[in-house]
Amino acid sequence: MASSDQEPGPTPLAGGGEGPTPPGQPTTMGSKLLDKGAKMLQSMKPVRQLQQHACSFALYAHDHTRQIETHLYISRLNQNFLQCPIYDSDDPLAHLIGVEYIVAENIFETLPPEEQKLWHSHAYEIKSGLWVHPRVAEMIAKPELKWLTKTYGKFWCTWQVDRGDRVPLGTPALMMSPQGVNSGQVRPDLLKSRDDKYKMSSEELKESRLEIEEPEWLNPNADYWKQHGKGFGLDVLETDMKHMTPFP
Amino acid sequence: MASSHVEVPGEATETSTAVVETATGIIQSFAPINQIHQHLCAFHFYADDMTRQVEAHHYCAHLNEEVRQCLIFDSSKADAKLIGVEYIISPMLFLALPEEEKPLWHSHEYEVKSGVLFMPDLPLSVQRMDLEKVVKTYGKTFHFWQVDRGDALPLGLPSIMMALTRDGQLYDHLAKDVENRFEISFEKERENRAYMSGPEHGIHPLANGAGKGLKLELRDIDLPPLDSFPRIFV
Repeated sequence: MASSDQEPGPTPLAGGGEGPTPPGQPTTMGSKLLDKGAKMLQSMKPVRQLQQHACSFALYAHDHTRQIETHLYISRLNQNFLQCPIYDSDDPLAHLIGVEYIVAENIFETLPPEEQKLWHSHAYEIKSGLWVHPRVAEMIAKPELKWLTKTYGKFWCTWQVDRGDRVPLGTPALMMSPQGVNSGQVRPDLLKSRDDKYKMSSEELKESRLEIEEPEWLNPNADYWKQHGKGFGLDVLETDMKHMTPFP
Repeated sequence: MASSHVEVPGEATETSTAVVETATGIIQSFAPINQIHQHLCAFHFYADDMTRQVEAHHYCAHLNEEVRQCLIFDSSKADAKLIGVEYIISPMLFLALPEEEKPLWHSHEYEVKSGVLFMPDLPLSVQRMDLEKVVKTYGKTFHFWQVDRGDALPLGLPSIMMALTRDGQLYDHLAKDVENRFEISFEKERENRAYMSGPEHGIHPLANGAGKGLKLELRDIDLPPLDSFPRIFV
């Protein structure tokens, strides 16, 4: 079955090509009306907690040449923990491409090493102006940026839209954060396209963030590739299902 | 009983942080999130372990008439944990998937027809208008946070999740707990949904793990030598 680092098997649903992603009839008026009704009557509390929008970049852990612009919609569970659905744009019909969890460094240090290697640091992204909060003045975002600089994230990508998958295919892929060295650097054309869209300059932001304090140290288990030259793939294996009644 | 009682480690949100979030919540645009129009409650179990069952609150948006994308939380409360995602597609799109992909997807026919999958706070007749479509669809679900084993943080690898496919799988206590909290009866609703029909050509034999258990494993991959990359920034 399609591992995270392998191309999907033959299908009109991969490899890009003509037609929208995903394929299908546009949402009908009937569905929209049902949706409107549902939204009015149902309480959507967990979703209403998504109170911040951030835009940054990520790399596939198994292939740093594949870089994507990410849109995080952030919900804070407490002072030290964020949970974020991630989309590939800020359009209404943006694709849900994964989930990232963000923890403060003190929480990160409690994780076992095997777990830590699935996580990435945020200091470089913030300091270099890659990570932005669209439409929010730097001054307002500053406290949050200062906090984020000393955090670690874990990001599973569930839809590889960038390679042309028209529906989500294969297993989740682990993602890494941009870093200031080697293959961790974001391609200038990607950055420019983002900056132009929001009429901002990462260079300028980098200047204004000089004063933000770096973490005292970065755990070497995070950003695992930097010290070990390895990425990760996820494979699906058949196994015996533990069950107490027949399946399927 | 719903969500895990385990607390996520960390201090309570500071006022200054909350103030920033109120500001960003008002100023910024949340277009993809605003598309989320529907709350759906169902159960998932681990694709390698039917004995581990999780109440799953889906918050769903249409990308088009044939594809939905959902955020999965462990409860419907403000402090719910984001535990996974689900994608829902029409039978037509399912058929177009590569053969090796199909086992990762599960059918929805049983969950809908049995009444176990429902939309809290919506009149039942209105629910049925949408569920007539959902009953034919297939879903692909990954969970990232094993709240059912008491994890205080999202640890480890993602899990492929499956959905109920027949009577006798769902634990009574989980069913009763949901029925009580949401004041509904699965049995009664099952009668009302008897008229619904699943995918036109029946449930595809490769769906639902092709009847097998599935699990994910991590593999190391050697990256090209680190110094083979030119410095991009001056």
